[in-house]
Amino acid sequence: MNVLSEKINDLVTQAAGSRPDDLQTLANIHTQLQSLSALPATESLTELRSSSNRLEKLAEQIVLREVEDAEASLWQLTRGIAELQLLLTNDHPSLPITPSIAAAPATDPVSVSPPVAQPPTHTFCEDQILSPDDLPLVQDFVSESYTHISTAEASILRVEDNPADIEAINCIFRAFHTVKGVAGFLNLKQIGFLAHSSENLLDLARKGKIQLQGSTLDIVLAATDAMKELVARVAHAAQNQSPVVADPSVAALIDRVEACARGENSNAVNPLTQRVKENTSAPAAITPTAHTAESTIKVATDRLDNLINTVGELVIAQAMVAQDSSAILTGEPRIARNLSHMGKITRELQELSMSMRMVPIQGTFQKMARLVRDLAKKSGKEIDLALVGGDTELDRNLVEAITDPLVHMVRNSADHGVEMPDQREKNGKPRAGRVQLKAYHHSGSIVIEISDDGRGLNKEKLLKKAIAAGIVAEGAALSEADIFKLVFHAGLSTAEKVTDVSGRGVGMDVVKKNVESLRGKIDIASVEGQGATFTIRLPLTLAVIDGLVVKIGTARYILPILSVEQSLRPQADQLSSIQDRGEMVMVRDTLLPLYRLHRLFNVTPTTEDPTAALVVVVQDDTRRCCLLVDELIGQQQVVIKSLGDGVGKIAGVSGGAILGDGNVSLILDVAGIIDLASGSPIC
Amino acid sequence: MSTATLSKPIKSSATTSGEKYLTFALGNEEYGLEILKVREIIGYMEITAVPRTPSHVKGVINLRGQVISVVDLRTKFQMKEVEKTEATCIIVVEITGIAGRKLSTGIIVDRVSEVLNILPDNIEPAPEFGGAVNTDFILGMGKIGKSVKILLDIDKVLTREEQTHLAEITGETQPV
Repeated sequence: MNVLSEKINDLVTQAAGSRPDDLQTLANIHTQLQSLSALPATESLTELRSSSNRLEKLAEQIVLREVEDAEASLWQLTRGIAELQLLLTNDHPSLPITPSIAAAPATDPVSVSPPVAQPPTHTFCEDQILSPDDLPLVQDFVSESYTHISTAEASILRVEDNPADIEAINCIFRAFHTVKGVAGFLNLKQIGFLAHSSENLLDLARKGKIQLQGSTLDIVLAATDAMKELVARVAHAAQNQSPVVADPSVAALIDRVEACARGENSNAVNPLTQRVKENTSAPAAITPTAHTAESTIKVATDRLDNLINTVGELVIAQAMVAQDSSAILTGEPRIARNLSHMGKITRELQELSMSMRMVPIQGTFQKMARLVRDLAKKSGKEIDLALVGGDTELDRNLVEAITDPLVHMVRNSADHGVEMPDQREKNGKPRAGRVQLKAYHHSGSIVIEISDDGRGLNKEKLLKKAIAAGIVAEGAALSEADIFKLVFHAGLSTAEKVTDVSGRGVGMDVVKKNVESLRGKIDIASVEGQGATFTIRLPLTLAVIDGLVVKIGTARYILPILSVEQSLRPQADQLSSIQDRGEMVMVRDTLLPLYRLHRLFNVTPTTEDPTAALVVVVQDDTRRCCLLVDELIGQQQVVIKSLGDGVGKIAGVSGGAILGDGNVSLILDVAGIIDLASGSPIC
Repeated sequence: MSTATLSKPIKSSATTSGEKYLTFALGNEEYGLEILKVREIIGYMEITAVPRTPSHVKGVINLRGQVISVVDLRTKFQMKEVEKTEATCIIVVEITGIAGRKLSTGIIVDRVSEVLNILPDNIEPAPEFGGAVNTDFILGMGKIGKSVKILLDIDKVLTREEQTHLAEITGETQPV
């Protein structure tokens, strides 16, 4: 009961502070009233329930501008809520309903606000002009709607697995409901109507009158898609300051949704199960949901980047102070202690700021869930998608960059990997194929695995195709891993027929390129007939690499540790040259070309003699070479920075990094250096 | 990093109209650039050389976590190099680069002088020198009393051949 009175107290405060145009507050009030009216139907609460139900309707009408005098209705609402409080605090359940509540139009839930429920479909099918005053609101609306729609989508998939998942249905309902509220306020009619009719349908589902499955669920999903399209149109209009182009197909969809709500085309539920459902749904409705509990704010990414830069700078400045003062401080333990304390705080601050860019991969995974569902429907397969480790966090940029490759790979698994149900049965597997997406952290990198229990990769077929395409020489002995890697070759597809989903042989090579551009790696493991697993390994963030700092003369350069094999001081007998110019080093019985970095970069080295200097063996894919440097300074993690448009892209240099002393050091691009040194074309 | 180490405070001469210019010196010549283009002025600091760039691009520096390129205006104008002194400054300007993108670049100057208000009436077009001196990037000659300030169109100074030249060695820019 305490929770309840707290809730109502909260409501009273909110209602007292609300204005007819404060949509956010009104929507909040509405949601809370909704949860109140869904309270368990015990006798003592009957009044409370019915009153909240009526108030909820009133709030909805205010939000949707369906009342003539918003001020007066709001006043009614506020008083009604105050009376709710009285009802509870007096513990007087039989308190008569006061006129103000009774005056609120009590409508049957199914036919809420008839003028909207049956809109004359053609009148709103026209282009709309956004008022310039609304533009900032529209932008908020667009971004929020996208969030709501994707939440709805995820919930729909959950409902598909478990049609009795009331919480998920509520979630979809809420999403449509919120979008409807704001769309109504912004006078976006098409979105409003679509959301409204879908909401009615979902309301029925919520009450257990219909079941969300099969074609009904498809209609809800179609409505979600249409909504996404409409919101995209609004976004486009807001960006170009052009009228919102109406989507003529929406009218038909609304008709379908309504037909479905009327019970045509939907699965009837018998009254008994309905009652059971209602009972199970009631407690679920008052448990607070995960979505409302979290409080977040949105921050522009460039501000965040600025913060991270500034904190990075603070770390450097702190390190410099510590270094400069270490000699003076030997007799001053107090200052030394304070300084080290400051160092600790600075590092914490840095970690914190870095973590702000991290987002869970769940959102991307959910997109895949939708993709797999559609693919399965289209191809007539049965596929269970398992998502593991959705809360694994990675850099925001990385999430965006990894989405496309993931789509390709999941498509591949679903389309090529998983067999048709009959085929699977014949092979002694369950009819439903299983595709698993798994993300986890492993030794400083993010691992994403896409595995399926389908037919796996056919080594012989792959090899035959590769030989036919001239990629591999006839009779070449390739290891298993090498054969699997052929998948990544452009123009090589083992699919016998090209579907509209995949099979053209483009795709996997793009995936590989994308993953490599993120400084990641991709591996394949497969057993024929039992499935395949693709493993993508990515660095935690795009912004940081492990580097080996080397020195040539006074200049310091950073070599990505991933491309460094080893370093050594060559003996005179390891060196040889051709025509006194082309130098080579014999490293473990392999002759590797020796490139003098100082010549490429035109800096003065401390020594020209390789036996007095060091050689770093580096590799790029299959090419290996030796780079001559003066000395190694050490290994350290550096934040990659662009050199800026001022100098643009330099061959052999991939970016810059700020070292501990605040100076900029260049990060070398091994592939570029090899191109440069071997004279192959670069630009 | 030392910030805003000016030998004397910038003196601004406020007038009702006209534009404000930051004036600086290269040897005996006085130059000016529109104040709105100036982001900040910092003392000369160690610059990391970048290989395979035109000679006037001295390299890159760390400006509070952002890496920006630095151009030596003397080299750019084919004047002879001089020893860097305490007064040597890097003026960080924001210019409009290729495809209208804003970018920050540092320019090395011998000495920063002051901020001046120059009325349009006191600005004359740059004289023609034929092929000997390129005057394309000069907005005009500002007359202040008896002295003459060469007013630079800094966008043109830093972008014109630079970018055509850069385009040769540049692919796309590196994402961070």
